[in-house]
Amino acid sequence: MGQTRRKQINTKKSAVMSTFLYHLWMIATLYGTLLPIIAVVVYGIGHEGNRSFTYYMLHALTYLGKSLMLSVPVTVIATVFATVLSITLWRIDFMGRGFSRGMALAPLLNPPFVGSISFIMLFGKRGLITHELLGLTVSPFGYWGVLVMQVIGLTTLGYLFISSGVRNMQTIYEEAARTSGASEWRIFRTVTLPILKPEILGGALLIFLASMADFGTPLIIGGPFQTLSSDLYIQITGLYDMTGAAISGAVLLMPCLIAFIAQRKVIKMRKYYGKDLQKYTLVYPSLHPLVRYGLIGCCFLFQGVILLKYGFIIIGAFTKNWGHDYTLTLEHFIAVSHREWTPFMNSMKLAVGVGSISSLLGILTAYVVHHGKTKSVRALEMVGTLPAAVPGILFGIGYLVTFKYPLFGAGQLYWSGGPRIVLLGTGLIIYIICIFRYLNVGLRAGLNLLEHQDPNIERAAYTLGAGRLRTLWTVSIPLLQPAFRIAFVKNFTSTMTTLGAIIFLLLPSNKVAVQQIFQIITSSEIGIAAAMSLSLSSLMGLMLLMFYGLIRHKKVYVTIRRLKG
Amino acid sequence: MKKHIGLLLSFVLVLLLAGCTGNAESTEQASDTSAEVVELVELVEDVAVYEGEGWSSAFYNEDMTGTVMNLYGVTDKVRPVLDAFEADTGIRVEHLTMKNGEILQRLSNEADAGVAIADLWFTGGADTFIEASQSDLLSPYKSPSGEGLDDKMKDAEGYWHGTSLTLVNWVVNKELIEEKGLKMPEKWDDLLQEGLKGEVSMSNPASSGTAYNVVSAVLETKGQEEGWAYLDGLIEQVPYFTARGSDPKKNVVVGEAIVGINASNGDRELEINNPHIALVYPTDGTGWWPQPVAIVKGTKNEEAAKVFIDWLLSKRGMKVIADSRNAAVARTDVEIPEGIVDISTLNLFVTDFQANAKNREGILEEWVKHVENK
Repeated sequence: MGQTRRKQINTKKSAVMSTFLYHLWMIATLYGTLLPIIAVVVYGIGHEGNRSFTYYMLHALTYLGKSLMLSVPVTVIATVFATVLSITLWRIDFMGRGFSRGMALAPLLNPPFVGSISFIMLFGKRGLITHELLGLTVSPFGYWGVLVMQVIGLTTLGYLFISSGVRNMQTIYEEAARTSGASEWRIFRTVTLPILKPEILGGALLIFLASMADFGTPLIIGGPFQTLSSDLYIQITGLYDMTGAAISGAVLLMPCLIAFIAQRKVIKMRKYYGKDLQKYTLVYPSLHPLVRYGLIGCCFLFQGVILLKYGFIIIGAFTKNWGHDYTLTLEHFIAVSHREWTPFMNSMKLAVGVGSISSLLGILTAYVVHHGKTKSVRALEMVGTLPAAVPGILFGIGYLVTFKYPLFGAGQLYWSGGPRIVLLGTGLIIYIICIFRYLNVGLRAGLNLLEHQDPNIERAAYTLGAGRLRTLWTVSIPLLQPAFRIAFVKNFTSTMTTLGAIIFLLLPSNKVAVQQIFQIITSSEIGIAAAMSLSLSSLMGLMLLMFYGLIRHKKVYVTIRRLKG
Repeated sequence: MKKHIGLLLSFVLVLLLAGCTGNAESTEQASDTSAEVVELVELVEDVAVYEGEGWSSAFYNEDMTGTVMNLYGVTDKVRPVLDAFEADTGIRVEHLTMKNGEILQRLSNEADAGVAIADLWFTGGADTFIEASQSDLLSPYKSPSGEGLDDKMKDAEGYWHGTSLTLVNWVVNKELIEEKGLKMPEKWDDLLQEGLKGEVSMSNPASSGTAYNVVSAVLETKGQEEGWAYLDGLIEQVPYFTARGSDPKKNVVVGEAIVGINASNGDRELEINNPHIALVYPTDGTGWWPQPVAIVKGTKNEEAAKVFIDWLLSKRGMKVIADSRNAAVARTDVEIPEGIVDISTLNLFVTDFQANAKNREGILEEWVKHVENK
C-alpha cells in the first residue's frame, strides 16, 4: 500500500518536474533561435539604408531566383546520391564495402578552404586533370562549380540520415512482398521507399536549407554566379549595408519555411513502425547483376572524386610547391608545428562541448515534439529547425544585437544603469550560439527515428510506473542513441570548421583554428594551409573514432526487464 | 534544519549584496583616481616623457608591464609587430582577425552594449576607419610620434594615423605569360593587350576597396573621358568581377587568370612561396592607401593604448613593421629592408580619400552602366 502511494507521488512529482523543464526549454529555444533572427531583421531594417525598400526587395528576389535554381537541383541530386549510397553500402555485399562506408563519411572531415583549392587545381582552367590530361581549358567557376561542390558536401549529410534508416530497417515487409511474387523494383518502390520516407524527406529538407544558407561555396567558386546568401555576405562585409542584408535574410527564410511545412505535411501522412527491435538481414537476397554493378559503380564514381580531391590535398601538404614542384618535403608540417596551438585546443573544446550538448538537447527536443500534441509543441520543431536556413553571418549578427543587452537581451526593455550582466564579451556566448544553431540536426535525426519507433515500448515502461522523466532517461534516450550519434558526428565536425557565425562573438583569447587557416590561405601559402587543414581533419577523424569507441549500443530490453522485475 | 539553511542562505545573500556595493564604490574611487592621474600626467607631460630606444611616450610607465590589451585587425601578420611591442614595453596585445565589415559591425554593437572588448584597431581599409570616426566609435589622439607624417597619412583630428602603405599592384603568373608569348605588363595599357582577354582578374568596385581605389585613381589621373575609355577597355578583359579584393590574387596563383589586380601590404611571401608568381608595380603610377591604427572609444586602457600608438608611429615601431611585414611604411626616415619596393621610386596616384568617399555612389553608378554595356 505504502509503496503504491509513494509510486503515485513520484509519478506526480515527475509530471510537475517534466512540465517545468519543458516550459523552460521552450523559452530557452525561443531565446536562442527565434529572437536573434527577429532581432537582426529588425536591426537591419531599422538602419537607414542607402536605397529604397523596393530596390532591396527586387534585388533580393532576383537573387532568390538564383538560389532556388541552385538549391532545388542540389537537393534532388544529393538526396538521390545519398539514397543510392545508403542502399549500396548497407544492402549489397561487395569487396571493399567497409572502406567505402568510411569514405562516405569523409566529406564531413572536409579540410576547410583547401578542399576547394584542390578541386580548382584538379578541374580548373589549368587543372591537372581537365587541362593537362584532357587538354581542356574550361573554368569551373560559375553555376556548375557550385553545384558540384555542394552536391559532394551535402550528399554526406543526406547519407548520415538515410543510412541510419536503412540500417535499422525491418526487411520483414519486403520479405512478405517477395513471397507474394512482387518484382524487386516494385518492392523498392512500394515498400522500401515508403519505409525510408522520414529519413529521405528529413535529409532532403536539411540539404535544401543548408544549400540555401551556404555562402562559402558560391563565394569561392561561384565566380559570376552568386546566390542570395553569398550576396547577403557581400552586402555585410563589402558594402556595409545591413538593411539590404536583413531584407535578403527575411526573403531567404520564406522558401525555407515553405519547404519545412511541405516536408511535414508529407511525412505526417502515414506512419510505419515495426513491433520489435530485432535486427534483420539487410543484404538483398537476389539482385539483377546489372543493377548490382550499376549501383556499385555509381558509388565508386562518387567516392573516386572525393578520393582524388583528398589525395591531392595530401600531395599538396607533403610537397614543396603544390601544383608546381612535387619534391617531397615536411617543411609545411614543421611550419605548422611552430604556430600557436591554442586555437586548435579552443576549437576542440568548443566542438566536443557543442557536439555533445547540442546533439543531446536536439534529440530531447525531438522527443518532446514527437510526444506533444499541442500547437506550441509543433512550433518548437519549426523554431528549432529555423537556424539551419539562416546564413551563419546573419545568425552571428543576430546574437550580437540581441545579447549585447543585459539579462540575456531582455534588459534592453527596462534596465538602465546598474550592474550589467552582459553575455557579449564572455566565452559562454560562443557555446550558446553553436548549440542553438546545430540543434536542428539532433532534432531531425531524433524525429526520423521516432517515426519508426513503436510507442508501446515507452508506454510499457510508463504503465509499469516509471514516471515520465525516468521513462525518458532509461528507455527513450537509449532508444534515441543512433540519432545522437548522427547528430554528434555532424555537429562536432561542423563546429570545428565553422567561422561565419562565431566571428562576431569571439574574443582574442578564444580564437579558433579555422581562422588561422583562412589567414594562411589569404596570404597564398597554400602548402602550409594544406598541411594545417590536413592536421585539423586528422584530429577530427581521430576524435570521431574515439567517440565511436566510447558509445556502444545498449540493450533497451535490459532496462525494461529490470522495470518489470 | 530547513530553517537553518534558509537563515544561512539569506545571510550569505546579504553578505554578497554588501560585497557588491562595496565593489561598486571601490571602482568609482578607482576611476576617480585614474582621472586624477590623467590630469597629473597631462600637467607633467613635458617633463616626464619616457624615452625608449627609438621611441618615446609621455604615457608610458613601467607599472604598465603585464597590462593586456585587445586589438582588432584584418590580418594575422600584425603578430610579430605586437610581440616586438611587448618586448619593449611589457604590455601584451592580443589580436583578433576579422574582415573590415565585421569589425565595423562589432565595434558599433559593442559600443552600444558598453562592452569594450577591443582597445585598439590596427590594419584595415582607410574607408572603414573614416566611417568609424564619423560614427563616434574611435577615440582621437594626436600622437607626437605622428607629427612628421604627411597630412594624407593621418586624420586631421587624430582619429587615426597611417602606419604602412597598401599599394595597388598586379599579381602575374610568369609561367603563363611566357607560355602564351605575352608581353610582361609594365604600364596600365599593357593590361589591354589582346592575349589577356578573359585572363585579367579584378574585383568588383562596389564590394572591394581595392577595385574602387583603382577605378577612382584612374579617373583622377586620366580625367573623366579618357579614364572611362580606359576602364571600358579593362572591363572587356575581365571575364567577371570577383566579390572580394583578395580573389584575383588567388585566381592567378591557381592558374584561373594570368594577371590579377591586387592590393598588398607586404606580400613578398607570395613571390617567395610561389616561384611562378611575380608582383608587378605599374610604372606609370599606382593607387595606394594607408594602413591605419586607432584607439577604440570606451577602452579601459586609454593610456596604454596611447603608448601603443606612440610606439607604433615611432621610428622603432615603423622599422619593425617594415622588417616583419615587408611593407613600405609611412615614415620617410626608416631604412627600407631589401626586396621591398621603394615608394620613392614609385609613381603614386594622387588620392583624395575624403573625395573618394564622397563621390563613391556616383562613380559606382556610372561603373554599373559601363559594365552592363560591355
